[in-house]
Amino acid sequence: MTELKVVGKRVERVDVRAKVTGGALYAADVQLAGMLYGKIVRCYDYAHARVTSLDLSEAAKCKGVIKVLGPKDVTQKEYNASVLDMMVSADMRGVLGDIDDQSIFTDHVKHYGDAIAAVIAISEEAAERAAEKIKVTYEELPVYMTAEAAKQADALQFRPEKPGNLAFQLPEMAFPDNAYAWGEVDKSFDEADIIVEDTFYVPKQKQCQMEPGSYIALYDDQERLNCWTSTQMPKLVQKKLANLFELPMTRVRINATVIGGGFGARLGMVLEPETCALAMAVPGRPVKVLSTREEDWVTSPSRHPGKYWMKMGFKKDGTPVACDAKFENYKGAYYVDASGTAFTTGAWLGGMYKFDSLRYRGESYYTNQSICGAFRGYGNPQTNFVMEQMIDRGCAELGVDPIEWRKKWHKGVGDDGWCIGVPYNSCALDECLDRAAEAANWTEKREKYKNQTGTKRRGIGVAVMNHTSGAMPMLLEHTVCDALLHQDATVTLNLACSDMGQGSHTTLRQVAAETLDFAYEDIHIATGNTDAAGFDIGAHASRTLYVGGGAVKQACEDVRRQLFERAALELEEDVDNLYMEDKIIHVKGSSNKSISVQTIADQGVNNFMNPETGELIGQPGQIQGYASFFPPHNAPPFGTTIAEVEVDMETGEVKVLELVNAHDVGRAIHPGVVEGQLDGGAQQGLGMALTEETYYDDKGICQNNSFTDYKMFGPSDMPKMTNILVENPDPTGPFGAKGVGEAGLVPPVGATANAIFNAIGIQILEAPITPEKILKALEDAND
Amino acid sequence: MKKHAITLTVNGEERDLVVPSNRTLLDALREDLGYTDTKYGCGTGECGACTVLVDGTTSINGCLTLAATMDGASITTAAGLAQDGNLHPVQQAFIDNDAIQCGYCTPGMVLKVVSLLDENPTPTENEIRSGLEGSICRCTGYTKIVEAVQDASNRMAGVGE
Repeated sequence: MTELKVVGKRVERVDVRAKVTGGALYAADVQLAGMLYGKIVRCYDYAHARVTSLDLSEAAKCKGVIKVLGPKDVTQKEYNASVLDMMVSADMRGVLGDIDDQSIFTDHVKHYGDAIAAVIAISEEAAERAAEKIKVTYEELPVYMTAEAAKQADALQFRPEKPGNLAFQLPEMAFPDNAYAWGEVDKSFDEADIIVEDTFYVPKQKQCQMEPGSYIALYDDQERLNCWTSTQMPKLVQKKLANLFELPMTRVRINATVIGGGFGARLGMVLEPETCALAMAVPGRPVKVLSTREEDWVTSPSRHPGKYWMKMGFKKDGTPVACDAKFENYKGAYYVDASGTAFTTGAWLGGMYKFDSLRYRGESYYTNQSICGAFRGYGNPQTNFVMEQMIDRGCAELGVDPIEWRKKWHKGVGDDGWCIGVPYNSCALDECLDRAAEAANWTEKREKYKNQTGTKRRGIGVAVMNHTSGAMPMLLEHTVCDALLHQDATVTLNLACSDMGQGSHTTLRQVAAETLDFAYEDIHIATGNTDAAGFDIGAHASRTLYVGGGAVKQACEDVRRQLFERAALELEEDVDNLYMEDKIIHVKGSSNKSISVQTIADQGVNNFMNPETGELIGQPGQIQGYASFFPPHNAPPFGTTIAEVEVDMETGEVKVLELVNAHDVGRAIHPGVVEGQLDGGAQQGLGMALTEETYYDDKGICQNNSFTDYKMFGPSDMPKMTNILVENPDPTGPFGAKGVGEAGLVPPVGATANAIFNAIGIQILEAPITPEKILKALEDAND
Repeated sequence: MKKHAITLTVNGEERDLVVPSNRTLLDALREDLGYTDTKYGCGTGECGACTVLVDGTTSINGCLTLAATMDGASITTAAGLAQDGNLHPVQQAFIDNDAIQCGYCTPGMVLKVVSLLDENPTPTENEIRSGLEGSICRCTGYTKIVEAVQDASNRMAGVGE
């Protein structure tokens, strides 16, 4: 490959100047003339109840109130807030069955914070005051917080079409015996010399994106539904809203505002349906709905908690012969994407090691928890916590070094990837492990931390992971991009891929500049309006750079092809005999035959006829490149983390001293962006391992939906970070790049747990590993 | 509810407004005066997204401060930090060190750092980290923010110039 000019450089990000001066407009910052405010009335008294009476009359009389709406005043159509149904084939939709189980407002409260009514008023304060006047009575229903409770024979059924409150299990059609599997697991265990087995718990972690959900909707004079939202998925939300309100897509417009963090919380719809329903009730007036932090916590999806059982068998020589696992997640009140995480949790397990046989079952149960959905990693952190501890237990029993074992038995090029039948096409995990081990002084420290006796004991642990770049082939992968060449030889890219702060618009611009051989400054990305942009999935599954980048590259190649074709006509030369330098197209071997991109671009727009000859001057027509891009693969990122911790044996407190992350990123289009993903991912991975869990009392009332009571890693908690970027270009990625958006979160989870195991010799089976759990485990071990 | 006629000088511009007793400074800035660069993150003083400066150096949480108590105060928001089109050294350091991702915490974080460096122009890494407590960032893991503060400290001390 020729030397890269823009790719690989730490260019200034496209969005940071507006963000650092406060000029960036998030949804809550948008102010429209005649704005009204909506307040959604939620049930915070019960997690499961029937509304027996709803009296809106007093609220309607309050000063400043425009309208009060109950369940019957809005569309009766049920919907599914996720976009899962937009990304699977018609056949698969048939297999999933009826998954539309959410209403705008409900008379059957299924979780703390479920929506029952709303007020529209002239100010937020007036709406809040009126909301307090709404009188509701309830009939309390039994509360089911876990899969175990929900599947009891006499449990109330959430949806008659999903008996046993089993929202989803891997369907027999695609997964015989309801399992993602290969080989003969039961038989393989007979060949095992060592078997390890345990049941773990993984927590309900919250994304805690800094911008709480904020929305504006307006049903305008042209009978078009407009919605301002910081969604991760503008085009799919446009289609979802079109379906819900039975409008053609031409009459639904998403104005995608700057996203104040996503991490999965804005994947699909959140409060867009409620906000749009309010706007439909007051045509011509924009309605703004602002969630409080506490409200956002229980209305946007969280990570899937649940019980995760796993059993592994090894031969004496270390050969992994069998792995059997089952994840029963506590899905929450509604289906959302019940099939998604239930599958992928096993897919990441299956994609990691060369077990002779493997069987994974994933089941999602309705519970009275707030909804679960996408959260950075999408099942991978749960698997990492369990799988990597089981591997280390196996290594301890085998007496082998955990890094050496992983190097020998991880899957690599040619092996089946997370989707059986789609083999890995690139993998640099060995290099990641070698470089991380060296940077962390692995061998020396593993030796040093043997046989400690003091109050403070140190440990060092490792974990690895595989992930994906886009969801192909399980889900649709497709991005449309057009690249418009202006008459001044600059280019505007029009595509709907959103940038939620991860830097994707910056890296996409770099891909465009590199492909065109233009300057970074010559490119602009126009996003934010679904009227103009073609189809795109949105930002999820670490896909934006890989799939969006593929689309950008193809559209820019199309521009370049057209430029060269026109140059060939003007210069009367063969296209193959031309080359471009500094935006001037030259004829090879001829110093004086050339034409500038500027001239071609200008003549394309400002095209005139020579009045003397009657011939056109230059080639007419504005050049526009186009791509409707379906990626050929899912370019798997791999990575490892080595964590070093110190455990206080008296208090159970864990201090994380250092993380060394080494990731196979394919190519770092912008190293600062990649490091930022690894740093930020680690903060969330450490939180999941050690401190973060949304918890409820036995009545299903959420106990910590605020930053005061939910503990995230703060600036002083974060350890020393070392990031090693291993660049092993993927053959299918734009300039070799793989997705890195989620990978950084995953291995810190398992590595931290394994470091604690190394320090105290005991594995803690429930995340987050709090001091209480460590002290209890130490006590139990002494008994 | 009782209403108060107050005057605030925001980013050098004097503004008169009438606020009820319970109006927070955050709402007064955002809703009444249009300074939307001051963000709502939690409303309970836990996240620091609503941080503003009083008299150019003291950082406070806009969500915990009643506007009526701020009559006559001089307030700086992120929009008021740049001078004559030049970014404040702290802003420039945040850009140059990739310390900004989603950007929602950034205005408050930058103002917090301005205040921190005013109090302690050459903080150690630990002093920076403890100084940032109360300002939550969910994107960066704080690593690059700490680097940006160190860089800003050097710039403001004229190191390397």
